[in-house]
Amino acid sequence: MQVAGQQPDAGQIMNKSRDLSITSSLSANINLTITEKGGASRNRTIAMTTKSFADGLEKRFIKFIEPADVRGTAMLVVDNKNSADEMWIYLPALKKTRRIVSSEKGKSFMSSEFSNADMASPAISDFVHKHLGKSGMNNQWIIESTPVNEDKADEYGFSRKISYINMTSNQVQKMEFYNFDNELFKIIEIKSIFPLSDGKYMVKNMVASNLNTNRKSEILFSNISEGVKVDDSNFTIQNLER
Amino acid sequence: MADFIFRYRWIIILLCLLTGAGSVLIIPRTKIDPEMRNYIPQSIESRVETDKIESEFGVQDMVVILFSDSCIVSSDNLNRIKNIDRSISRINGISSRISPFTVKNIKSEEGMMTVDPLIKGIPSSAPDLELLGKDILENSFARDIVVSSDLTTASITATINNLVTEKETLQKIDSVISSNPGNAKIVKGGLPYIRQSLVKDVGKDAIILIPVALLIMLIVLKASLGSWRSVLLPFSIVVLTTAFSLALIPLTGWKMSIITVLVPVILIAVANNYGIYLVARFQELSFRHPEATRKELIRMLIKSLNMPILFSGLTTVAGILGLLTHSIIPAKQIGILAAAGVSLALLMSLLLIPALIFVSGSGLTLKNRKRDRAKLFDNILNNLSKLIIKNPGRILLVSALVIILFASGIAFLRIDTNQENYFAPKHPVRQASELINSKFGGSQTISVMIKGDIKDPELMKGIDRLTTEIKNQKGVGIVFSISQVVREMSKAIYTSTEDGYDQIPDTREAIAQMFELYNMSGSPDDFKQLTDLDNTKAHILIRLSDPENNIVKSVKARISELTVNIPAEISVGGYAMIMSDFAESIIKGQISSLLFAVITVLLLLTIIFRSFKGGLIGSIPLTASILILFGFMGYSGIALDAATALLSSIMIGVGVDFTIQYIWCFNLQINSGLSYPEATSSAMRTIGRSIIINALTVMAGFGALMFSGFTSIRFFGYLVLISIGSCLIGALVIIPAFLMKYKPGFLGFETDKKKTGKDEKESNIIGVTTAAFAGSRSTA
Repeated sequence: MQVAGQQPDAGQIMNKSRDLSITSSLSANINLTITEKGGASRNRTIAMTTKSFADGLEKRFIKFIEPADVRGTAMLVVDNKNSADEMWIYLPALKKTRRIVSSEKGKSFMSSEFSNADMASPAISDFVHKHLGKSGMNNQWIIESTPVNEDKADEYGFSRKISYINMTSNQVQKMEFYNFDNELFKIIEIKSIFPLSDGKYMVKNMVASNLNTNRKSEILFSNISEGVKVDDSNFTIQNLER
Repeated sequence: MADFIFRYRWIIILLCLLTGAGSVLIIPRTKIDPEMRNYIPQSIESRVETDKIESEFGVQDMVVILFSDSCIVSSDNLNRIKNIDRSISRINGISSRISPFTVKNIKSEEGMMTVDPLIKGIPSSAPDLELLGKDILENSFARDIVVSSDLTTASITATINNLVTEKETLQKIDSVISSNPGNAKIVKGGLPYIRQSLVKDVGKDAIILIPVALLIMLIVLKASLGSWRSVLLPFSIVVLTTAFSLALIPLTGWKMSIITVLVPVILIAVANNYGIYLVARFQELSFRHPEATRKELIRMLIKSLNMPILFSGLTTVAGILGLLTHSIIPAKQIGILAAAGVSLALLMSLLLIPALIFVSGSGLTLKNRKRDRAKLFDNILNNLSKLIIKNPGRILLVSALVIILFASGIAFLRIDTNQENYFAPKHPVRQASELINSKFGGSQTISVMIKGDIKDPELMKGIDRLTTEIKNQKGVGIVFSISQVVREMSKAIYTSTEDGYDQIPDTREAIAQMFELYNMSGSPDDFKQLTDLDNTKAHILIRLSDPENNIVKSVKARISELTVNIPAEISVGGYAMIMSDFAESIIKGQISSLLFAVITVLLLLTIIFRSFKGGLIGSIPLTASILILFGFMGYSGIALDAATALLSSIMIGVGVDFTIQYIWCFNLQINSGLSYPEATSSAMRTIGRSIIINALTVMAGFGALMFSGFTSIRFFGYLVLISIGSCLIGALVIIPAFLMKYKPGFLGFETDKKKTGKDEKESNIIGVTTAAFAGSRSTA
């Protein structure tokens, strides 16, 4: 057991944990299930390819597989580290590609309980991190992350987040989100991970529960291929319409 | 009965006191229900449909915060609105909101669809602010929705949820506003604020009206009965029965509504009557029989008054019970509470007052008989009886003409269920409502839920037709629907020269992909009130700038026409629809309660006068008063609403007494061998004054309602003057003239088979009312 004074900086732990989950390139299928309070559920399957570039730039190519009415819809997301994300979407039924500008990271990912920020790797500098009382006990860091200012709080849509991180693996196991009345409103639990090379990992299965609406969303990654050779030309607008 | 009272006097007194004390302890548990939708039964169609829609799309009750300034698009104002909007968005009890900072600009620029906030950053320079003003006016989701087209007012509209209490949410909003001061004037409106004001004002009304009514009654009793000890007896009945009726509210699990405050006032105005009769009669008997013992006097009192008091009480209860046929829930409750109170007043008067007289006795005699005041009455009544005896036919003709004139006003009678109108024009809630209705499309809503495959282009086109058509209906402010979002997106996807621009796509896939596009760009929260997660239900929200009943009815009819060909299950609900059903309930309740009360009173009169014809004649003043009341309401513009709809039943219950008293007295005069003119003159002299004072007492009691904070309850107070006044004229002008003119055969009925001559006079209702007020001629 570690004494508080000897604990490593909370920001450093968060940074390390984040770095462990970032990979250079990856392709996978994602199945998203949203379950309503009454038990009704909705499924969506997408195929995603990601590739990391210099200066923290990450590009994602997403193609919808299910449901049938949106099959063929394709998206290209350019995740800039220091500026707003860029997004293009191709709508096959309308045969149109449109660029979308959206700056709000707190917004829901595909109508689920996950936010866009939950799906990406939010900048460590957007938050102030600190250890909570029991951090360091039971092989677990418990770190509270508070948005650096009101604008960031608005952008992310919560007042603070508590991350439970395994001290040995540095992997996040659970995140709790508090609303602006300081009430717990959302929990994300990491159910399983997929080990990558170099000791890195990616989340394979996670569940987000909204305590206000009693809705649950589950994301399951399958067909994960790490380090796939993807040509840069795949991440172009022209490729969307193919 | 007298022996029973003598024997158990202390038990009677104790039981009555315990009832009063117990009631006083229970009253503080009373809760107030400001939710007008609870006034109509849950099974009514609009409530069922609204509940169905709200279970899918949440409660549609909106809080509207308005910011007004000479120009609202200034840095200071916008920063303040932004801060308040941000804090409101963080309140747990708010499920969604529309403000200048939530509105999006969906634009197509150089092949890009941008979904950006309308206000990305607050400009500081004048040209930039001017540009923003222009942007606002061009944005169909902003203009007259979040900023008025004259740029003087901005609004934050927040939909509340049930996660926390409404009270807590409103407190938080108030605290957010007070911690963000600024130049722009802020007013708050919407149903949650209306409800909050109702709760506050209903409580305030009860605190003001009950003491005022009691004070008025105390003054009236003192003027009528003389000594304070005499006043105390009927007054104690008033206090005990009022407390009892109020205690019944929490005991039955009911809640105090805006109109329940009428219950104590009804009791204060009516419950003293029987006590007054008894005390005054006792004074009378003591005066006439100074040699009699207290027991003998009480025996005489009970013997002479039981029947007439019972008649009087029963007709009042029958009239009030007419309210049971109302479908408005608080109306039924008032019927039960007031009838229970009056019944208890009747019982207590017959038991407690003799018991109290028996134990306290002295001090009840009248020391100062106010003859001078009586003279004025006598002169008026003498002249009136002369007029009636001389010209009964003309009086009847003039009366008929006056009644017809008033009755024609019924054509103008309107129904008003808009609870905004309960508040005086200067009340902040009313002012906010007027601002919302005039500049922001109103806060009262109609909801249409469409169940089907929302992505089906045919269905979406149906929704679009409905949206477009309903928008043009009179009284409709703003309409929100998913079809508008689809059309707005089509404007961002296509250029204005392309097919498909500002149109609903022709394929299901195209609509599905548009939804997906929006999910990726905006937030699904932006239209979570317009369609559900799996797009099997759509919600069209219609905000009414004029929630008047006829407008709601015409919008409802148009919705039916426009949805008949939509291939889906349609539900139409919303607060405005509930209020429309509420208006229907008021009409139906008014008719049924009137029928019930008139028939019951007719039956009672038939029994009392032992003749059906007598019953019919006795009902003339009531019928005339009903016509005059509704006609007056029509001409004066006072609407039939939750409060004024109760008036006719109460009027029948109270006003019928006057006719019974007059006919009973007139009959006695005929029985004692007087001619019709002599009987008219004598009845007018003996009973007329008592009837007038009785009517004035009731009017004075109800007069307290003029101090109410609610317009509708104040109108009720004014209308009582009209209705009781017309009952009074009916009993003292129309009935005497009718009896003079037609000399109906039922007259001459026996009032007490066992008694004759002088004794009979003491056992009848003349004695009651004549003696009821000091200075009665019969005691001279």
